[in-house]
Amino acid sequence: MTRVVEVPTQFDDRTFDQFARSYGADGGGRVLFDAHAAQWASPYGLLGLLAAGQAITEGGGEQPLLTLPQDRDVTHYWARAGFLRHAEQFFELHGKAPRSVARGESDVLLEITSVKGADDVHDVVSHIQDRAASILTRELGLEAAATMGFGMALSEACQNIVEHAGTGGWVAVQTYTWRRKLGRRVVVIAVADAGVGFRRSLEATQAKRFGDRWSDAAALEAALIQGVSRFRDPGRGQGLAGIRRYLNRWAGKLAVRSGTARMAMVPPWDDDVPLADQLPPFPGTQVLMIVPAHAETG
Amino acid sequence: MKRIDLKDVLARTVSSGYGDLVTRRTGEAVRTGIEAMLAEDDETAVIDFGTVRLMDMSCADEIVGKLLLNHGPARYFLLVGVHAAHEDALLPVLERHHLAVVAQDRAGALKVLGSLPESARLAFGCLADSGPALPDEIATRLALTPDAARDALQTLCERRVVRERGGHYQALR
Repeated sequence: MTRVVEVPTQFDDRTFDQFARSYGADGGGRVLFDAHAAQWASPYGLLGLLAAGQAITEGGGEQPLLTLPQDRDVTHYWARAGFLRHAEQFFELHGKAPRSVARGESDVLLEITSVKGADDVHDVVSHIQDRAASILTRELGLEAAATMGFGMALSEACQNIVEHAGTGGWVAVQTYTWRRKLGRRVVVIAVADAGVGFRRSLEATQAKRFGDRWSDAAALEAALIQGVSRFRDPGRGQGLAGIRRYLNRWAGKLAVRSGTARMAMVPPWDDDVPLADQLPPFPGTQVLMIVPAHAETG
Repeated sequence: MKRIDLKDVLARTVSSGYGDLVTRRTGEAVRTGIEAMLAEDDETAVIDFGTVRLMDMSCADEIVGKLLLNHGPARYFLLVGVHAAHEDALLPVLERHHLAVVAQDRAGALKVLGSLPESARLAFGCLADSGPALPDEIATRLALTPDAARDALQTLCERRVVRERGGHYQALR
């Protein structure tokens, strides 16, 4: 018996809950992730798909199947973004995967990169500072100090995986032009894992304080708003606050989804809700950061 | 005065291939490397950020936060070559731990970073700009009462960002 999980045709943070609902639906057997009709996927969507595969594999389930998009251009993009390279670890792939992938000038500032330890964080930050800083400055009009802040936010987001997930995760960075919503270019960072999530990470130190109110949403509130950490060290818990400060300064957006809740810092140009609770459960943590170009640049 | 180049410490304790101070593990290794270089009789340690490109808050906490917490009462720390992005990482750390430190930018301008009352911050600015001064001189320049000026200078001395010698107060430099 095979259970089918539909991958949305436009797969990003807006359609992620639809994917999570399908992923979490009852039914045993081998899971088939059906992406044959996919037309577009953001880094956030692609990382979510990897996290789903990782959760099944690491949970001892049978290796899931994944049907690749029929559209050749879409599959090529998935390959160029580094998705297929990582997907082979978790999925039995079906469909035509491109044999070689053209590199060079690309909107993909950082291919999907696995993050397991501190060395990976160094490599990610170094790559962004060496190869993407000029793009951030040229295309988004970010000052040099802002590209440094970008590296800092990226580092702190990746460290959440290393310090709290209990497993590996991924990061990806890409630029887009958002014509309809913003009329400007944006840079998007997605960071995701299929680890323990905020609630379990903070449970031992925070659950008692929240009592009956303890939940995924309360854990996100504790981490993002109150800056608490599972570590007793008073210097801990500053990373997410630092990310918030950075994005706030540049009118950016931060959204963190963990378990059944999602908390967002919503800039004026976006219409997301600050807190969404009782969402379809999904393993681990998914972080989305969006930095828009300066108005005169994009 | 001991001058400690962070890039050298990073290369020695973590990897010569890294140019950025990121992650707690790196910060802890660099701090341990700095601690090994602190001589018993050296009153002031100068930490040079000029060769380091980027520092995140985790590293700032492990290096500067913990150095000041663990060794601040026994010695003075001066951070040199500090740029705006370094400050972005340092400020939340200093405020969280109620610490203060003197930072010098690449042009040589002195600034006190961290958690301080406004009168103390202004008094530091006077000392940094005009050199050593008596409490009454600071009181006059800042239009403070003599007691308020002394309190501000005392706070700066307790935070070890200012030294008092023969009644004159001098910004750490």
